[in-house]
Amino acid sequence: MTATKKPQEKEQNFTKSSGKTYSLVEVVKAPTVMVDKGPDNTIFAFPIVAILELIIALGSTLFLVLFSLLKDAPLEEHANAIITTDPAKAPWYLMGLQEMLEHMHPTLAGIILPALSVLFLILIPYIDHSREGAGVWFTSKRGKRIVGWTALYTTIVMIGFVALDHTFPPRELLRDVLPNLVTQSIIPGSIMAFLVILPVLYLWRFKKGTTNAREVMLVLFTVLFFTAIVLTLTGFLFRGPGFELYMPWAMPNGYNPFDGL
Amino acid sequence: MKNLLQNLWEKVTNSRPWKSFFRHGWPDNPLDRSLIMTTNIFFHLHPVRVNKKSIRAAYSLGLGVITTVMFIILALTGILLMFYYVPSTELAYFDIVKLQTKVPFGQLLRNMHRWGAHLMVLSAVLHMVRVFYTGAYKPPREFNWVVGVILLILTIAGSFTGYLLPWDQLAFWAITVGTSVAAYEPLMGKTIKKILLGGPEVGQAALTRFYGLHVMVVPAILLLVISLHIWRVRKDGGLAANEVKDDDELEAENDSN
Repeated sequence: MTATKKPQEKEQNFTKSSGKTYSLVEVVKAPTVMVDKGPDNTIFAFPIVAILELIIALGSTLFLVLFSLLKDAPLEEHANAIITTDPAKAPWYLMGLQEMLEHMHPTLAGIILPALSVLFLILIPYIDHSREGAGVWFTSKRGKRIVGWTALYTTIVMIGFVALDHTFPPRELLRDVLPNLVTQSIIPGSIMAFLVILPVLYLWRFKKGTTNAREVMLVLFTVLFFTAIVLTLTGFLFRGPGFELYMPWAMPNGYNPFDGL
Repeated sequence: MKNLLQNLWEKVTNSRPWKSFFRHGWPDNPLDRSLIMTTNIFFHLHPVRVNKKSIRAAYSLGLGVITTVMFIILALTGILLMFYYVPSTELAYFDIVKLQTKVPFGQLLRNMHRWGAHLMVLSAVLHMVRVFYTGAYKPPREFNWVVGVILLILTIAGSFTGYLLPWDQLAFWAITVGTSVAAYEPLMGKTIKKILLGGPEVGQAALTRFYGLHVMVVPAILLLVISLHIWRVRKDGGLAANEVKDDDELEAENDSN
Protein backbone atom coordinates (compact mmCIF):
# COMPACT_ATOMS: atom_id res chain seq x y z
CA MET A 1 0.00 0.00 0.00
CA THR A 2 2.61 2.51 1.01
CA ALA A 3 4.78 1.71 -2.01
CA THR A 4 2.05 2.65 -4.46
CA LYS A 5 1.18 5.81 -2.61
CA LYS A 6 4.64 7.38 -2.72
CA PRO A 7 4.87 8.30 -6.43
CA GLN A 8 1.47 9.96 -6.19
CA GLU A 9 2.67 12.19 -3.40
CA LYS A 10 5.68 13.13 -5.48
CA GLU A 11 3.51 14.09 -8.41
CA GLN A 12 1.46 16.34 -6.21
CA ASN A 13 4.54 18.12 -5.02
CA PHE A 14 5.94 18.72 -8.46
CA THR A 15 2.99 19.07 -10.80
CA LYS A 16 4.11 18.54 -14.33
CA SER A 17 1.53 20.44 -16.29
CA SER A 18 0.44 23.72 -14.82
CA GLY A 19 -1.20 25.17 -17.85
CA LYS A 20 1.97 27.00 -18.66
CA THR A 21 2.54 26.32 -22.32
CA TYR A 22 5.62 28.42 -22.89
CA SER A 23 9.10 28.84 -21.51
CA LEU A 24 11.53 31.71 -21.76
CA VAL A 25 14.70 30.85 -23.59
CA GLU A 26 17.36 33.22 -24.78
CA VAL A 27 20.49 32.74 -26.75
CA VAL A 28 23.31 34.54 -25.00
CA LYS A 29 26.77 35.27 -26.24
CA ALA A 30 29.01 34.07 -23.45
CA PRO A 31 32.29 32.25 -23.05
CA THR A 32 32.02 28.52 -22.79
CA VAL A 33 34.89 27.70 -20.54
CA MET A 34 34.77 23.93 -20.49
CA VAL A 35 31.94 23.07 -22.87
CA ASP A 36 33.08 21.28 -26.03
CA LYS A 37 36.49 20.71 -24.55
CA GLY A 38 36.36 17.03 -23.93
CA PRO A 39 38.87 15.20 -21.83
CA ASP A 40 40.62 14.04 -25.01
CA ASN A 41 43.22 16.77 -24.90
CA THR A 42 43.76 16.69 -21.19
CA ILE A 43 45.97 14.51 -19.04
CA PHE A 44 46.24 14.06 -15.29
CA ALA A 45 48.30 16.87 -13.82
CA PHE A 46 49.90 14.37 -11.45
CA PRO A 47 52.66 13.46 -11.90
CA ILE A 48 53.60 15.21 -15.17
CA VAL A 49 53.13 18.81 -13.93
CA ALA A 50 54.91 18.05 -10.67
CA ILE A 51 57.82 16.52 -12.60
CA LEU A 52 58.03 19.46 -15.03
CA GLU A 53 58.01 21.93 -12.16
CA LEU A 54 60.67 19.92 -10.37
CA ILE A 55 62.86 19.95 -13.49
CA ILE A 56 62.50 23.74 -13.86
CA ALA A 57 63.15 24.23 -10.14
CA LEU A 58 66.27 22.03 -10.14
CA GLY A 59 67.50 23.51 -13.42
CA SER A 60 67.16 27.14 -12.36
CA THR A 61 68.63 26.39 -8.91
CA LEU A 62 71.60 24.63 -10.50
CA PHE A 63 72.12 27.60 -12.83
CA LEU A 64 71.99 29.99 -9.88
CA VAL A 65 74.47 27.96 -7.80
CA LEU A 66 76.92 27.64 -10.71
CA PHE A 67 76.68 31.35 -11.51
CA SER A 68 77.16 32.19 -7.82
CA LEU A 69 80.29 30.01 -7.71
CA LEU A 70 81.71 31.82 -10.73
CA LYS A 71 80.85 35.44 -9.93
CA ASP A 72 80.86 37.14 -6.55
CA ALA A 73 78.30 39.73 -5.55
CA PRO A 74 79.86 43.21 -5.54
CA LEU A 75 80.86 44.89 -2.29
CA GLU A 76 82.43 48.31 -2.45
CA GLU A 77 83.83 50.46 0.34
CA HIS A 78 81.83 51.35 3.44
CA ALA A 79 78.99 53.78 2.69
CA ASN A 80 80.11 57.39 2.88
CA ALA A 81 77.71 60.29 2.45
CA ILE A 82 80.59 62.71 1.78
CA ILE A 83 82.27 60.85 -1.10
CA THR A 84 79.98 60.58 -4.12
CA THR A 85 80.66 57.63 -6.41
CA ASP A 86 81.14 58.47 -10.07
CA PRO A 87 78.90 57.52 -11.73
CA ALA A 88 76.16 57.14 -9.10
CA LYS A 89 73.71 54.68 -10.59
CA ALA A 90 70.39 53.22 -9.44
CA PRO A 91 69.86 49.41 -9.63
CA TRP A 92 69.74 48.19 -13.24
CA TYR A 93 65.93 47.87 -13.39
CA LEU A 94 65.65 51.59 -12.58
CA MET A 95 68.36 52.65 -15.04
CA GLY A 96 65.74 53.33 -17.71
CA LEU A 97 64.21 55.92 -15.38
CA GLN A 98 67.58 57.41 -14.54
CA GLU A 99 68.42 57.61 -18.24
CA MET A 100 65.17 59.48 -18.92
CA LEU A 101 66.08 61.98 -16.18
CA GLU A 102 68.99 63.00 -18.41
CA HIS A 103 66.62 63.99 -21.19
CA MET A 104 63.64 65.69 -19.55
CA HIS A 105 62.21 67.26 -16.43
CA PRO A 106 62.27 64.93 -13.40
CA THR A 107 58.51 65.14 -12.86
CA LEU A 108 57.94 64.00 -16.44
CA ALA A 109 60.69 61.34 -16.48
CA GLY A 110 60.37 60.05 -12.94
CA ILE A 111 56.65 60.40 -12.22
CA ILE A 112 54.34 61.10 -15.17
CA LEU A 113 55.76 58.69 -17.78
CA PRO A 114 56.26 55.77 -15.33
CA ALA A 115 52.76 56.32 -13.92
CA LEU A 116 51.31 56.37 -17.45
CA SER A 117 53.22 53.18 -18.27
CA VAL A 118 51.87 51.32 -15.24
CA LEU A 119 48.37 52.65 -15.91
CA PHE A 120 48.64 51.46 -19.51
CA LEU A 121 49.75 47.98 -18.37
CA ILE A 122 46.81 47.72 -15.99
CA LEU A 123 44.34 48.89 -18.61
CA ILE A 124 45.49 46.53 -21.42
CA PRO A 125 42.97 43.74 -20.73
CA TYR A 126 40.13 46.24 -20.32
CA ILE A 127 40.86 47.97 -23.63
CA ASP A 128 41.47 44.74 -25.56
CA HIS A 129 38.72 42.58 -24.11
CA SER A 130 37.98 40.26 -26.98
CA ARG A 131 38.76 36.61 -26.33
CA GLU A 132 40.09 35.99 -29.80
CA GLY A 133 43.66 34.89 -30.18
CA ALA A 134 44.21 34.09 -26.52
CA GLY A 135 46.93 31.51 -26.08
CA VAL A 136 48.64 32.12 -29.42
CA TRP A 137 52.01 33.83 -29.67
CA PHE A 138 51.48 37.26 -31.35
CA THR A 139 47.88 36.22 -32.21
CA SER A 140 48.56 35.81 -35.94
CA LYS A 141 51.17 36.10 -38.69
CA ARG A 142 50.09 39.71 -39.13
CA GLY A 143 50.52 40.25 -35.38
CA LYS A 144 54.03 38.82 -35.56
CA ARG A 145 54.89 41.23 -38.40
CA ILE A 146 53.44 44.17 -36.45
CA VAL A 147 55.53 43.28 -33.40
CA GLY A 148 58.68 42.77 -35.47
CA TRP A 149 58.43 46.10 -37.31
CA THR A 150 57.42 48.00 -34.17
CA ALA A 151 60.38 46.52 -32.28
CA LEU A 152 62.75 47.59 -35.06
CA TYR A 153 61.16 51.04 -35.27
CA THR A 154 61.29 51.60 -31.51
CA THR A 155 64.91 50.47 -31.21
CA ILE A 156 66.00 52.84 -33.95
CA VAL A 157 64.00 55.93 -32.91
CA MET A 158 64.82 55.56 -29.21
CA ILE A 159 68.56 55.21 -29.88
CA GLY A 160 68.15 58.20 -32.21
CA PHE A 161 66.29 60.15 -29.52
CA VAL A 162 68.97 59.48 -26.92
CA ALA A 163 71.81 60.33 -29.32
CA LEU A 164 70.17 63.47 -30.78
CA ASP A 165 69.00 64.76 -27.41
CA HIS A 166 72.48 64.16 -26.06
CA THR A 167 74.15 66.03 -28.93
CA PHE A 168 71.63 68.89 -29.21
CA PRO A 169 69.92 69.15 -25.83
CA PRO A 170 67.05 71.66 -26.19
CA ARG A 171 67.17 72.56 -22.49
CA GLU A 172 70.78 73.76 -22.98
CA LEU A 173 70.51 75.28 -26.47
CA LEU A 174 67.23 77.11 -25.82
CA ARG A 175 67.91 77.96 -22.18
CA ASP A 176 67.67 81.73 -22.70
CA VAL A 177 65.10 81.63 -25.48
CA LEU A 178 62.23 79.62 -24.03
CA PRO A 179 61.00 79.00 -20.48
CA ASN A 180 62.14 75.82 -18.69
CA LEU A 181 58.65 74.34 -18.84
CA VAL A 182 58.87 74.30 -22.64
CA THR A 183 62.44 73.06 -22.99
CA GLN A 184 62.38 70.49 -20.19
CA SER A 185 58.83 69.18 -20.34
CA ILE A 186 56.80 70.19 -23.37
CA ILE A 187 59.45 69.58 -26.05
CA PRO A 188 60.68 66.14 -24.84
CA GLY A 189 57.15 65.16 -23.81
CA SER A 190 55.79 66.00 -27.26
CA ILE A 191 58.63 64.13 -28.97
CA MET A 192 57.94 61.05 -26.80
CA ALA A 193 54.18 61.27 -27.44
CA PHE A 194 54.79 61.65 -31.18
CA LEU A 195 57.17 58.65 -31.29
CA VAL A 196 54.62 56.50 -29.46
CA ILE A 197 51.59 57.59 -31.52
CA LEU A 198 53.30 57.43 -34.92
CA PRO A 199 53.27 53.61 -35.33
CA VAL A 200 49.66 53.47 -34.09
CA LEU A 201 48.66 56.06 -36.67
CA TYR A 202 50.52 54.12 -39.33
CA LEU A 203 48.71 50.92 -38.37
CA TRP A 204 45.35 52.67 -38.31
CA ARG A 205 45.73 54.73 -41.49
CA PHE A 206 47.86 52.77 -43.90
CA LYS A 207 47.59 49.12 -42.99
CA LYS A 208 45.07 47.19 -45.04
CA GLY A 209 42.71 44.88 -43.22
CA THR A 210 40.88 45.26 -39.97
CA THR A 211 42.71 46.92 -37.15
CA ASN A 212 41.50 45.72 -33.78
CA ALA A 213 42.30 46.59 -30.20
CA ARG A 214 44.73 43.68 -29.96
CA GLU A 215 46.88 45.07 -32.77
CA VAL A 216 46.97 48.52 -31.21
CA MET A 217 47.98 46.90 -27.91
CA LEU A 218 50.70 44.92 -29.70
CA VAL A 219 52.12 48.17 -31.06
CA LEU A 220 51.91 50.11 -27.79
CA PHE A 221 53.27 47.31 -25.60
CA THR A 222 56.15 46.68 -28.02
CA VAL A 223 56.97 50.40 -28.02
CA LEU A 224 56.96 50.41 -24.21
CA PHE A 225 59.00 47.20 -23.89
CA PHE A 226 61.66 48.15 -26.41
CA THR A 227 61.88 51.72 -25.12
CA ALA A 228 62.52 50.25 -21.69
CA ILE A 229 65.21 47.95 -23.14
CA VAL A 230 66.97 50.75 -25.04
CA LEU A 231 66.88 53.20 -22.11
CA THR A 232 67.92 50.55 -19.56
CA LEU A 233 70.83 49.36 -21.69
CA THR A 234 71.90 52.94 -22.44
CA GLY A 235 71.87 53.84 -18.76
CA PHE A 236 73.40 50.61 -17.57
CA LEU A 237 76.02 49.89 -20.24
CA PHE A 238 76.82 53.17 -21.98
CA ARG A 239 76.86 55.68 -19.10
CA GLY A 240 80.25 56.13 -17.48
CA PRO A 241 81.94 58.65 -15.17
CA GLY A 242 80.12 61.99 -15.11
CA PHE A 243 77.13 60.08 -16.47
CA GLU A 244 78.59 60.70 -19.93
CA LEU A 245 78.06 58.35 -22.88
CA TYR A 246 80.93 55.97 -23.61
CA MET A 247 81.30 52.67 -25.37
CA PRO A 248 80.98 49.96 -22.68
CA TRP A 249 84.43 48.54 -23.52
CA ALA A 250 86.11 51.98 -23.51
CA MET A 251 85.10 53.34 -20.12
CA PRO A 252 87.59 55.76 -18.53
CA ASN A 253 89.06 55.29 -15.03
CA GLY A 254 88.70 51.51 -15.30
CA TYR A 255 84.96 51.78 -14.66
CA ASN A 256 83.08 48.56 -15.44
CA PRO A 257 79.27 48.83 -15.57
CA PHE A 258 78.90 45.20 -14.48
CA ASP A 259 80.65 45.90 -11.17
CA GLY A 260 77.51 47.71 -10.05
CA LEU A 261 75.08 44.84 -10.49
CA MET B 1 60.83 -11.29 3.55
CA LYS B 2 58.88 -9.67 0.73
CA ASN B 3 55.67 -10.66 2.45
CA LEU B 4 56.88 -9.11 5.67
CA LEU B 5 57.68 -5.81 3.99
CA GLN B 6 54.35 -5.78 2.22
CA ASN B 7 52.58 -6.47 5.48
CA LEU B 8 54.48 -3.71 7.19
CA TRP B 9 53.72 -1.29 4.33
CA GLU B 10 50.05 -2.11 4.50
CA LYS B 11 50.05 -1.75 8.25
CA VAL B 12 51.67 1.68 8.04
CA THR B 13 49.45 2.96 5.24
CA ASN B 14 46.35 1.67 6.99
CA SER B 15 47.34 3.11 10.34
CA ARG B 16 45.45 5.95 11.92
CA PRO B 17 48.32 8.49 11.84
CA TRP B 18 49.08 7.79 8.15
CA LYS B 19 45.45 8.10 7.18
CA SER B 20 45.10 11.25 9.20
CA PHE B 21 47.88 12.75 7.09
CA PHE B 22 47.35 11.35 3.60
CA ARG B 23 43.77 11.41 2.41
CA HIS B 24 44.58 9.52 -0.76
CA GLY B 25 46.16 6.27 -1.84
CA TRP B 26 49.22 5.78 -4.04
CA PRO B 27 48.53 7.99 -7.08
CA ASP B 28 48.60 5.35 -9.81
CA ASN B 29 44.88 5.43 -10.62
CA PRO B 30 42.48 8.21 -11.70
CA LEU B 31 40.79 8.57 -8.31
CA ASP B 32 43.98 8.93 -6.30
CA ARG B 33 45.56 11.13 -8.95
CA SER B 34 42.60 13.47 -8.52
CA LEU B 35 42.63 13.23 -4.73
CA ILE B 36 46.36 14.00 -4.45
CA MET B 37 45.75 17.30 -6.23
CA THR B 38 42.70 18.30 -4.21
CA THR B 39 43.93 17.23 -0.77
CA ASN B 40 47.47 18.63 -0.90
CA ILE B 41 47.84 22.33 -0.18
CA PHE B 42 50.69 22.79 -2.68
CA PHE B 43 49.21 20.63 -5.40
CA HIS B 44 45.74 22.10 -5.04
CA LEU B 45 46.88 25.27 -6.77
CA HIS B 46 46.99 23.09 -9.87
CA PRO B 47 44.01 21.62 -11.69
CA VAL B 48 43.42 17.87 -11.56
CA ARG B 49 43.76 17.59 -15.31
CA VAL B 50 45.74 19.85 -17.61
CA ASN B 51 45.52 20.43 -21.31
CA LYS B 52 48.46 19.00 -23.23
CA LYS B 53 48.96 22.35 -24.97
CA SER B 54 49.46 24.23 -21.73
CA ILE B 55 52.53 22.20 -20.72
CA ARG B 56 54.44 22.79 -23.94
CA ALA B 57 57.76 24.43 -23.10
CA ALA B 58 57.63 26.70 -26.15
CA TYR B 59 54.35 28.17 -24.97
CA SER B 60 55.03 29.37 -21.43
CA LEU B 61 58.85 29.01 -21.35
CA GLY B 62 58.40 28.14 -17.66
CA LEU B 63 59.00 31.76 -16.69
CA GLY B 64 56.30 31.92 -14.01
CA VAL B 65 57.66 28.80 -12.34
CA ILE B 66 61.22 30.18 -12.48
CA THR B 67 60.03 33.42 -10.84
CA THR B 68 58.28 31.45 -8.07
CA VAL B 69 61.33 29.22 -7.56
CA MET B 70 63.53 32.31 -7.26
CA PHE B 71 61.15 33.70 -4.63
CA ILE B 72 61.50 30.47 -2.60
CA ILE B 73 65.31 30.46 -2.94
CA LEU B 74 65.41 34.13 -1.92
CA ALA B 75 63.25 33.43 1.13
CA LEU B 76 65.50 30.54 2.23
CA THR B 77 68.85 32.27 1.60
CA GLY B 78 67.39 35.47 3.05
CA ILE B 79 66.52 33.75 6.35
CA LEU B 80 70.08 32.37 6.56
CA LEU B 81 71.50 35.84 5.82
CA MET B 82 69.42 37.27 8.66
CA PHE B 83 71.36 35.08 11.12
CA TYR B 84 74.56 36.95 10.30
CA TYR B 85 73.32 40.46 9.62
CA VAL B 86 72.50 43.40 11.89
CA PRO B 87 70.85 46.40 10.19
CA SER B 88 73.01 49.04 11.77
CA THR B 89 75.04 51.62 9.87
CA GLU B 90 77.98 50.73 12.08
CA LEU B 91 77.74 46.92 11.87
CA ALA B 92 76.00 46.06 8.60
CA TYR B 93 78.96 46.49 6.27
CA PHE B 94 81.34 44.54 8.50
CA ASP B 95 78.74 41.78 8.95
CA ILE B 96 78.78 41.34 5.17
CA VAL B 97 82.60 41.30 5.11
CA LYS B 98 82.60 38.74 7.93
CA LEU B 99 79.96 36.68 6.14
CA GLN B 100 82.10 36.58 3.01
CA THR B 101 85.40 35.80 4.71
CA LYS B 102 84.63 33.91 7.94
CA VAL B 103 81.30 32.11 7.54
CA PRO B 104 81.44 28.73 5.72
CA PHE B 105 79.70 29.12 2.34
CA GLY B 106 78.86 32.72 3.36
CA GLN B 107 80.05 34.18 0.07
CA LEU B 108 78.06 31.58 -1.89
CA LEU B 109 74.99 32.33 0.23
CA ARG B 110 75.24 36.05 -0.46
CA ASN B 111 75.95 35.49 -4.16
CA MET B 112 72.88 33.29 -4.49
CA HIS B 113 70.70 35.89 -2.80
CA ARG B 114 72.06 38.70 -4.96
CA TRP B 115 71.97 36.95 -8.33
CA GLY B 116 68.69 35.25 -7.46
CA ALA B 117 67.14 38.68 -6.84
CA HIS B 118 68.31 39.96 -10.23
CA LEU B 119 67.07 36.78 -11.89
CA MET B 120 63.66 37.11 -10.20
CA VAL B 121 63.18 40.68 -11.49
CA LEU B 122 64.30 39.57 -14.94
CA SER B 123 62.11 36.47 -15.09
CA ALA B 124 59.10 38.43 -13.75
CA VAL B 125 59.52 40.98 -16.55
CA LEU B 126 59.95 38.26 -19.18
CA HIS B 127 56.95 36.39 -17.76
CA MET B 128 54.83 39.50 -18.21
CA VAL B 129 56.13 39.93 -21.76
CA ARG B 130 55.28 36.28 -22.50
CA VAL B 131 51.78 36.66 -21.09
CA PHE B 132 51.23 39.78 -23.14
CA TYR B 133 52.42 38.40 -26.47
CA THR B 134 50.42 35.19 -26.06
CA GLY B 135 47.30 37.24 -25.31
CA ALA B 136 46.90 35.41 -22.02
CA TYR B 137 45.54 38.56 -20.31
CA LYS B 138 42.27 38.36 -22.22
CA PRO B 139 39.00 37.57 -20.44
CA PRO B 140 38.52 35.84 -18.06
CA ARG B 141 42.11 36.52 -17.01
CA GLU B 142 42.01 40.36 -16.86
CA PHE B 143 42.15 40.55 -13.10
CA ASN B 144 45.05 38.12 -12.87
CA TRP B 145 46.98 40.31 -15.30
CA VAL B 146 46.44 43.25 -12.95
CA VAL B 147 47.59 41.07 -10.03
CA GLY B 148 50.67 40.27 -12.13
CA VAL B 149 51.45 43.96 -12.69
CA ILE B 150 51.20 44.49 -8.92
CA LEU B 151 53.52 41.49 -8.39
CA LEU B 152 56.10 43.01 -10.73
CA ILE B 153 56.06 46.26 -8.76
CA LEU B 154 56.32 44.30 -5.48
CA THR B 155 59.24 42.28 -6.87
CA ILE B 156 61.08 45.47 -7.80
CA ALA B 157 60.25 46.91 -4.36
CA GLY B 158 61.70 43.78 -2.73
CA SER B 159 64.88 44.04 -4.74
CA PHE B 160 65.21 47.79 -4.25
CA THR B 161 64.80 47.63 -0.45
CA GLY B 162 67.41 44.86 -0.29
CA TYR B 163 69.85 46.91 -2.33
CA LEU B 164 70.61 49.23 0.60
CA LEU B 165 71.35 46.54 3.19
CA PRO B 166 75.07 45.84 2.47
CA TRP B 167 75.63 49.51 3.35
CA ASP B 168 78.49 49.98 0.91
CA GLN B 169 79.02 52.88 -1.49
CA LEU B 170 77.10 51.09 -4.24
CA ALA B 171 74.07 50.58 -1.97
CA PHE B 172 74.17 54.05 -0.46
CA TRP B 173 74.31 55.96 -3.74
CA ALA B 174 71.93 53.71 -5.63
CA ILE B 175 69.26 54.30 -2.99
CA THR B 176 70.12 58.01 -2.81
CA VAL B 177 69.62 58.29 -6.57
CA GLY B 178 66.56 56.02 -6.56
CA THR B 179 64.70 57.81 -3.78
CA SER B 180 65.56 61.29 -5.07
CA VAL B 181 63.31 60.56 -8.05
CA ALA B 182 60.34 60.12 -5.72
CA ALA B 183 60.85 63.65 -4.39
CA TYR B 184 60.04 65.12 -7.82
CA GLU B 185 56.42 64.09 -7.52
CA PRO B 186 54.77 67.50 -7.15
CA LEU B 187 52.09 66.78 -4.53
CA MET B 188 53.34 64.06 -2.18
CA GLY B 189 56.92 63.53 -3.38
CA LYS B 190 58.76 65.08 -0.46
CA THR B 191 56.48 63.32 2.03
CA ILE B 192 56.89 59.94 0.32
CA LYS B 193 60.66 60.31 0.35
CA LYS B 194 60.59 61.30 4.01
CA ILE B 195 58.40 58.33 4.94
CA LEU B 196 60.64 55.97 2.95
CA LEU B 197 63.93 57.24 4.37
CA GLY B 198 62.72 58.27 7.82
CA GLY B 199 64.66 61.51 7.42
CA PRO B 200 66.05 63.94 4.89
CA GLU B 201 68.77 61.58 3.65
CA VAL B 202 69.87 57.93 3.64
CA GLY B 203 70.95 57.08 7.20
CA GLN B 204 70.21 54.71 10.08
CA ALA B 205 66.47 55.42 9.91
CA ALA B 206 66.44 54.52 6.21
CA LEU B 207 68.40 51.31 6.84
CA THR B 208 65.99 50.26 9.60
CA ARG B 209 62.96 50.94 7.42
CA PHE B 210 64.40 49.26 4.33
CA TYR B 211 65.36 46.24 6.45
CA GLY B 212 61.88 45.96 7.92
CA LEU B 213 60.27 46.30 4.51
CA HIS B 214 62.74 43.87 2.95
CA VAL B 215 62.58 40.99 5.43
CA MET B 216 58.97 41.28 6.55
CA VAL B 217 56.53 43.53 4.74
CA VAL B 218 57.39 42.94 1.06
CA PRO B 219 57.92 39.12 1.35
CA ALA B 220 54.68 38.70 3.33
CA ILE B 221 52.65 40.63 0.75
CA LEU B 222 54.48 38.83 -2.08
CA LEU B 223 53.69 35.42 -0.60
CA LEU B 224 50.03 36.32 -0.31
CA VAL B 225 49.72 37.85 -3.77
CA ILE B 226 51.76 35.08 -5.48
CA SER B 227 49.38 32.52 -3.94
CA LEU B 228 46.41 34.52 -5.20
CA HIS B 229 48.04 34.79 -8.64
CA ILE B 230 48.70 31.03 -9.02
CA TRP B 231 45.33 30.01 -7.55
CA ARG B 232 43.66 32.42 -9.93
CA VAL B 233 45.38 30.75 -12.92
CA ARG B 234 43.51 27.54 -12.08
CA LYS B 235 40.26 29.36 -11.34
CA ASP B 236 40.41 31.15 -14.69
CA GLY B 237 40.68 27.87 -16.55
CA GLY B 238 44.40 27.17 -16.62
CA LEU B 239 46.86 28.54 -19.14
CA ALA B 240 45.33 30.36 -22.09
CA ALA B 241 46.89 27.79 -24.45
CA ASN B 242 43.91 25.57 -23.48
CA GLU B 243 41.60 27.72 -25.50
CA VAL B 244 43.40 27.37 -28.77
CA LYS B 245 41.52 24.99 -30.97
CA ASP B 246 43.56 22.72 -33.19
CA ASP B 247 42.40 21.65 -36.64
CA ASP B 248 40.49 18.57 -35.44
CA GLU B 249 38.53 20.58 -32.94
CA LEU B 250 37.71 23.30 -35.47
CA GLU B 251 36.51 20.65 -37.91
CA ALA B 252 34.31 19.05 -35.27
CA GLU B 253 32.87 22.45 -34.48
CA ASN B 254 32.13 23.22 -38.12
CA ASP B 255 30.44 19.85 -38.53
CA SER B 256 28.14 20.46 -35.61
CA ASN B 257 27.13 23.90 -36.89
